[in-house]
Amino acid sequence: MTEKASHTPLADAQGIVFGATMAATGVLILTSLGLVTGQTAGLAVVISYATGWGFGPVFFVVNLPFYWLGYRRMGLAFTLKTFAAVALLSLLSGWLPGVFVVEHLWVPLGAVLFGMITGSGLLALFRHGSSLGGVGILALYLQEKTGFKAGWTQLCFDAGVFAIAFLVIPPEKVMWSALGALVLNLVIAINHRRDWYVAT
Amino acid sequence: MPIPEDLKVPHTPIEDAQGLSIGLLTAAVGLTFLTHLGFLTGQTAGLALIISYLTGWSFGIVFTLVNLPFYAFAWKRLGPEFTLKSVFCVVALSVLVDWMPSALSFAYLDPLLGTAIFGVLTGFGLLGVFRHKGSLGGLGVIALMIQDRTGFRAGYVQLIVDGMLFAVAYLLFDGRVVLYSLFGAVILNGVIAFNHRRDRYIAD
Repeated sequence: MTEKASHTPLADAQGIVFGATMAATGVLILTSLGLVTGQTAGLAVVISYATGWGFGPVFFVVNLPFYWLGYRRMGLAFTLKTFAAVALLSLLSGWLPGVFVVEHLWVPLGAVLFGMITGSGLLALFRHGSSLGGVGILALYLQEKTGFKAGWTQLCFDAGVFAIAFLVIPPEKVMWSALGALVLNLVIAINHRRDWYVAT
Repeated sequence: MPIPEDLKVPHTPIEDAQGLSIGLLTAAVGLTFLTHLGFLTGQTAGLALIISYLTGWSFGIVFTLVNLPFYAFAWKRLGPEFTLKSVFCVVALSVLVDWMPSALSFAYLDPLLGTAIFGVLTGFGLLGVFRHKGSLGGLGVIALMIQDRTGFRAGYVQLIVDGMLFAVAYLLFDGRVVLYSLFGAVILNGVIAFNHRRDRYIAD
């Protein structure tokens, strides 16, 4: 293979702004409908519903414990880009509800749109060496230390978030939330391929 | 930089189907933001929007009709497969855009933010459609034909058409509409210009 294509800093900045904007739009759709999702974003949404605090600040705080592990395992560039994406998503999530108010949204469409839009935003972040922080890094760390499979840690975490969600939102909303999470994960499973998108 | 043949990975039909579905649905949501605000964009979609605002006909019907003349050229130049895919994508986008307001409406949408989200969502949607070898028909085909016949660059043809569209829009609507619309078009084209790179996204 010839020399690997690499992103310029400007291209990475564009990718992170694009990814965080997409994710924020998806999360606004999600919270407009009162749905939840998995991972740290899901935990932040559930805490936000239960306490009435805004999603943005909660999401920012929930992610704080993970940066140290991220720095040790994934390096400085990844950690800084992840911090930028999380901070931008938190800021946008604080600002969007004042300037973008949904009047009516058919719940099945909203769940699918959340999955597609946020999934695509995450995909862009991954392709630019960034992420939205969180559980994945901890899961990899646990697998290395204890042998407990990273996939199981993530699944247990999501099961926990959805179990708590049953206490906070009506059961049919939990079901639609599961559809949204399924679409989101399918978008990433199908499209996150290093042999398709080769730039780093 | 051309990609060596042995590195090219083909998309399976299911992968193309999900790519086109995500691209078309996302582009339709973006256009719903734009039409809620009553703003415009470039290319055949922009022409269809101007006609739609003036006549009250739905965007989907006008967009489908506006694209019809291009299929004849596409059939000759780019073959039946590409043409049929274009027809499918254009009709699917038209149906989605006409349906969307019954499933998604806004109580309030800031014009600047709404236009930015239009650019991000529809730019991304078009990128997905291009990467999965779909097309939304239109001017590109004619612009390429003019370049082949006369040597006049296809990019300039598209730019001139967009320039004319926005000039007409300036006569018909107020300056505010044109300014916001230009802002959205810049973001949309920025997303595509930055990311539509055959040397980075190499799957076929």
